[in-house]
Amino acid sequence: MPAVKWYRTLTSRNLPSVFLPALSLTPAVFRRRRLMHWHPSPGVTLNSQILAEACGCAESLGGVKDGRWKTSIFFYRAMTRDGAAGPAGQQGQQHPDLPRELLGVALHERPGLYFSIVRAARLVLQADAAFPQVMEKLQSYKARVALNFEVASCLLVSDFPNLGGFQYQLGDFCLRIGKCAPNNSESLRGIMMEVEYYPLSSIEKSRAIMEDFFDIWQETVAKKSLPGHFIHVESNFSEYGLSDQYSFQHTAVQYATCLQQLMATVRG
Amino acid sequence: MSLSLHCLLFFFRKCSAISSVLIDPPILQHVEALEVLLQGLSGVPKERVRVHELCLKSGPNLGVVPSEVRLLGDLAQATPSWTIRHVGGAMRGAGAEQISVLVRTVVESKASKNVLHYFYTLGYKLDHEILKIGFAFRFHRGAQITVTVTSANKMPRLHATDEAVPVTPGIQLVEITAPAAADNYNDVVSAVTAFCEFLAPLLHLSKPGHSTGIVTTAGAAAASLMSSGGGKTL
Repeated sequence: MPAVKWYRTLTSRNLPSVFLPALSLTPAVFRRRRLMHWHPSPGVTLNSQILAEACGCAESLGGVKDGRWKTSIFFYRAMTRDGAAGPAGQQGQQHPDLPRELLGVALHERPGLYFSIVRAARLVLQADAAFPQVMEKLQSYKARVALNFEVASCLLVSDFPNLGGFQYQLGDFCLRIGKCAPNNSESLRGIMMEVEYYPLSSIEKSRAIMEDFFDIWQETVAKKSLPGHFIHVESNFSEYGLSDQYSFQHTAVQYATCLQQLMATVRG
Repeated sequence: MSLSLHCLLFFFRKCSAISSVLIDPPILQHVEALEVLLQGLSGVPKERVRVHELCLKSGPNLGVVPSEVRLLGDLAQATPSWTIRHVGGAMRGAGAEQISVLVRTVVESKASKNVLHYFYTLGYKLDHEILKIGFAFRFHRGAQITVTVTSANKMPRLHATDEAVPVTPGIQLVEITAPAAADNYNDVVSAVTAFCEFLAPLLHLSKPGHSTGIVTTAGAAAASLMSSGGGKTL
């Protein structure tokens, strides 16, 4: 039996506009989001059919496709004068004082913003779209180029991934389902889903309804008997100094966490 | 009164022009006169400037080449905002020598307040910090021109902006900047040069390091400006 809140949000689509959810009346505030990724069953190779089935699930729940979306994540590597490249370097002397991983996140709906994340230091910086140019001028960290993804090296798998796919409106929710693929490649490296709940921006207050939604979503996916399942890994926002009120920085951190999970899945 | 005059042209993603002037001690009156003159020329209200500028340099082994980045904290606002600025090398060549301003690349990005912690984490070290206090005028006159008149202040303790004291008491730095693009910087140079002519009674402009010396008319010009009431749009 679906939770009452979920039932309300589904039926609200058929009500006169005055009874519609608070979306249209809500000022532009940050709305709570949650990211999930597809975890394939052991031994199963990821394929685009899963993506199609996930989109089918969104439509079977009454989701209305209303556009496409794309988020880009960039991996940076430290450039050093002796040729080493930080702890993750493959050659020469390494530099433990330099961050192992530096991520850049460009979110689909805010092209003017750019986020840089040092996960080891639990640090997320919000900057504007010119930030990559600053980094380029400094010549201290370089965005790595994806060379050959078919090698399936764990470190190369998620170089320059583009996360893109379809967006669905579903009552108070917005679902964005998409694939994770290297830049300039159709190679499928993961499937992600972003769930946005319009009425609330508080993480704690929206936790219950997000979990309700997740349960219903899992039930729907389970009916398809797909070789795997969606999982959500909670990001520890407080470690990043982020508050309970949701922001784009929260989303950027979630993408970093989700990407880490995808890489772990590939390694596994 | 002795004036050391500088004229810089920044080459942004767009292009921008700067001119700057140092004004010596008994010249507080001249600063007031300059304010009156700028108010009249621009026709816009003066803005308060209070910028905490931190200069960071890359650590010993970081980067293909040593690099430098500036973090600018705008303390004039109730909630300080932060900007990352990278200033590139000056444009060179015969063309650059013939113009009266300096052209160089500047890239800026707004950033959240943890930007200093961020660059420390990336391996950058604090080289020095100053607090610039003064005023600015922003207006359009052939180009989007910004004039700032500031004094440089140093902090006795790290980041103690409330305890800042002037580096060179009584001396003010006047800078004029204007953004431009690669294909129109000549127009911007002309606009800035033309504007600087209006300041000639008080200030002469030149590229950094090329002092034009004392402006003999400054005292009289300042007295005239102050006595005429000023503030009127010219």
